[in-house]
Amino acid sequence: MDLAFSPQERAFRTEVREFIATHLPDEIRRKVRAGESLEKDDYVRWHRILFERGWVAPNWPKRYGGPGWDAVRRYIFNEEIAYGWAPRSIPFGLLMVGPIIIEFGDDAQRALHLPRILSGADWWCQGYSEPNAGSDLASLQMRAERHGENYVVNGTKTWITYAQFANWIFVLARTDPKAKKHEGISFLLVDMTSPGVSVRPIVTIDGGREINEVHLEEVVVPVANRVGAEGAGWTYAKFLLEHERTGTAGIARCRLQLAQLRELLERSRLDDPRIAERIATVEIELDALAYTELRTLAAESAGKRPGPESSILKLKGTQIQQALTELALDVAGPYADPAEDAATARAAPAYFNYRKTSIYAGSNEIQKNIIAKRILGL
Amino acid sequence: MDFALSSEQALIKDSVERYVVDRSSAARGDDWKTFAALGWLGIGAPEEAGGFGGPVETLLLMEAFGRGLVAAPYLSQAVFAGSLLRHAGSIDRLQRLVDGAERFTVAYEEPRARYDPSLLETSATIDGSSYVLRGRKIRVLDAESAGTFLVSARSANGVTMLAVPREAAGVSVRERATEDGRSAADVRFEDVRVEADGLVGERGGGLEPLERALDCAIAALCAEALGVMSVMHEMTLEYLKARTQFGVAIGSFQALQHRMADMFVELELARSMAYVAALTLEGATGSAARKRGISGAKVQIARSGRFVGQNAIQLHGAIGMTEEYRLGGYFKRMTTLERLFGDADYHLARYVAS
Repeated sequence: MDLAFSPQERAFRTEVREFIATHLPDEIRRKVRAGESLEKDDYVRWHRILFERGWVAPNWPKRYGGPGWDAVRRYIFNEEIAYGWAPRSIPFGLLMVGPIIIEFGDDAQRALHLPRILSGADWWCQGYSEPNAGSDLASLQMRAERHGENYVVNGTKTWITYAQFANWIFVLARTDPKAKKHEGISFLLVDMTSPGVSVRPIVTIDGGREINEVHLEEVVVPVANRVGAEGAGWTYAKFLLEHERTGTAGIARCRLQLAQLRELLERSRLDDPRIAERIATVEIELDALAYTELRTLAAESAGKRPGPESSILKLKGTQIQQALTELALDVAGPYADPAEDAATARAAPAYFNYRKTSIYAGSNEIQKNIIAKRILGL
Repeated sequence: MDFALSSEQALIKDSVERYVVDRSSAARGDDWKTFAALGWLGIGAPEEAGGFGGPVETLLLMEAFGRGLVAAPYLSQAVFAGSLLRHAGSIDRLQRLVDGAERFTVAYEEPRARYDPSLLETSATIDGSSYVLRGRKIRVLDAESAGTFLVSARSANGVTMLAVPREAAGVSVRERATEDGRSAADVRFEDVRVEADGLVGERGGGLEPLERALDCAIAALCAEALGVMSVMHEMTLEYLKARTQFGVAIGSFQALQHRMADMFVELELARSMAYVAALTLEGATGSAARKRGISGAKVQIARSGRFVGQNAIQLHGAIGMTEEYRLGGYFKRMTTLERLFGDADYHLARYVAS
């Protein structure tokens, strides 16, 4: 039992750290550190810098442009991204549709899309949820009717993060209305410049503009844009759930938030043992989760599939993230006012915004269902 | 990055697990002789005292003991007392402990100290070449089978540890059963004369080895608690699958599934922190880091243990309340472990302070 990284791994960490320190534009670092929202240009600029270095797609196979890292190096890289205040990569292209196209797409799709995802030429968004299909995703109603070599797609997708920046969307749509619920769903790649695609912003309770509703009305999608077999889309969507489990807990970012919380505590001259113990409570849970993640990582690098411990990462990670924003709000106290102090000004919006974490990517109640059914066999 | 066990560690795990299984199927004779013969009393001791291994080996043994609800005084007499002798540099005594020739238990806790080993009213006054010991210790674990008490006392220049035979004049021992059915004692020392050779470690330098030994004992306790919790979790899961009400297994109800998922999360976090505790001792990274690592683990273990235990009883329903069903024994042991060597509140404060 040994939790130390090897000399090669430590050297790799140094290399990544130095690269981020020297290549991340100051303005982007400042925004990330301050918790401000980033513009599309910020994301794309950083994406291109990583692309030039060959590091933009850590979990892609080497032949498609990945760097060929093992699980430990991917973990170290993601940690350094967080510690260096670099933007997180936007997952929809690199972590979601990319791996699906690699695994289930055809050569033409790979040749067309993968280089453009890598270079940042295309911005993808994810069209899964619908107004009447949330946790019960398989009850989705978007229809794709076959007309010769095209599908004609109608329906509404919602809660689409950064659809306003995107030029491609991947959707789950019903191609066979008579098939059983989980069958008859296909995975389609839709060019958002097609006639009939419209994007409506949804403002969230923190005042943020991250999510959108996307309407597809009589949108013509070539059959060549279907990934894999017709009716097998549900299988591909599920594949993502089992892909790459570490990193979802956001532990490095939480550690930084803790450090910021301490600064805030000092500035507000709050010397309250109850607050100190609440912070310690969260910190201890964070430690416990960090080691749980390392156990997952160790299993993964020993060639095992992600073990049961990995399903905890989303559930507990988001609880901790939320607890931290809650603490920041309470520490900021009467100064949580935008007019007073720039640092405390983010406390309330961040608290509002982070309520989303226990809802997205499978609500925490759904996570508990998964633990109960898949791990505990109930 | 490796959570795998070495082949020696795998062997220990295997032999301890076998012992635990055999033990529950047939009563055995004197366990302590068995432990000495198997070398288990030397885990964590230096080679010169006949020892081998370290915190990871202790973790493996204690987790298995927790699973088997083994009542042998290993935690108190081998881990706690052994660590104290090791850190105090009392190698001769440690050698006798490892051989099984002499049995020690640590008498450090006092009625008004609330877990803090530095708050002492017991005093050791120097009188010529010997000491006069006066005071009262509580919750001295497994005192009935220990021949020698390792007693912390305040002396002119700090905390001094003294080895006191239980038969010495002026020592009175009042045994009592603990809430988990094991034994502890209140021990009074009334002007007990201890000769110079009863000094353990340095005169006035006893607090540091005592604190280090306590941290070793806490790490071992975390591993035992992990074993205890694992069994409570497994029993509850089996029960949810087997018990039917309203014509279906009660495990099909979502309210119970979610509770069970929460218990699973707590168990896994506890497992991680039990490893953290062992690896913290192995890393030996200075006293602040050690205290922080150990106290953090103890907080998590105490809270997870309470959550898993209470819900194990709740999900079992009335059968969980009965004395004859074996869940209760685990619940009671966990209740002891939550508070032994400092409860969650004590260790949270210590974590903040270090």
